[in-house]
Amino acid sequence: MAVPKRKQSRSNTRARRSQWKAENIQLVKSVENGQTVYRLPHRANVVTDSAGTELFLEYKGRKVADV
Amino acid sequence: MPKPAKGPRLGGGPAHERLLLANLAVALFTHKSIQTTETKAKRLRPVAERLVTFAKRGDLHARRRVLAVLRNKDATHELFAEIAPLVALREGGYTRIIKTGYRKGDNAPMAVIELCLEPVNPKPKAKKAAAPAAAPVASAAPVAEEPEVVAEEVVDAPVAEVTEAAAEEKAE
Repeated sequence: MAVPKRKQSRSNTRARRSQWKAENIQLVKSVENGQTVYRLPHRANVVTDSAGTELFLEYKGRKVADV
Repeated sequence: MPKPAKGPRLGGGPAHERLLLANLAVALFTHKSIQTTETKAKRLRPVAERLVTFAKRGDLHARRRVLAVLRNKDATHELFAEIAPLVALREGGYTRIIKTGYRKGDNAPMAVIELCLEPVNPKPKAKKAAAPAAAPVASAAPVAEEPEVVAEEVVDAPVAEVTEAAAEEKAE
């Protein structure tokens, strides 16, 4: 079995890890009642009443499920 | 060589996978709408839709073929007696999958899969035949009534147009 001959340097480790990058989440922007809302695409949304209580899940104007 | 079924494999083996899908289908036909993982919902869709197609055929042979998959007489009866008449006019696409977020615990993406049991509201496919019939009605409607008329037309017009179009096609 092949084994490493040398300890990998901090520099090499860090150079490799510098390539790990988180990608931005793709969001959908929409305007509701004058407010701009960002949402995950193709995902049911939680409908809340004026007090902020969660009522049910909604997608494309159709009630999907209870929360 | 047989082509593997589309999508990821479920369970511990082929028999386990068949049972999982059969149980999911039974739950779907019993409750009309179930919440499960996105992966299972995607695998269930073709299975369930195929069974609905059998149910629409409605004869004894079809019933036995469905029963061979579902292994549940109650769900099979429900499918043939209740669900099949509701989707009689629907040309495929009997289920709807809606993604609902991530499960607490293992963060699995969840989805609701449900049967499309509402009456079919087809898009005006026969545009050439339907458009001349619909246009005079829309233009003749007074401007004052327009908001109501628009709402009514959206609901009523396509059904009427399609029945007319179907009648015309039969006559020809």
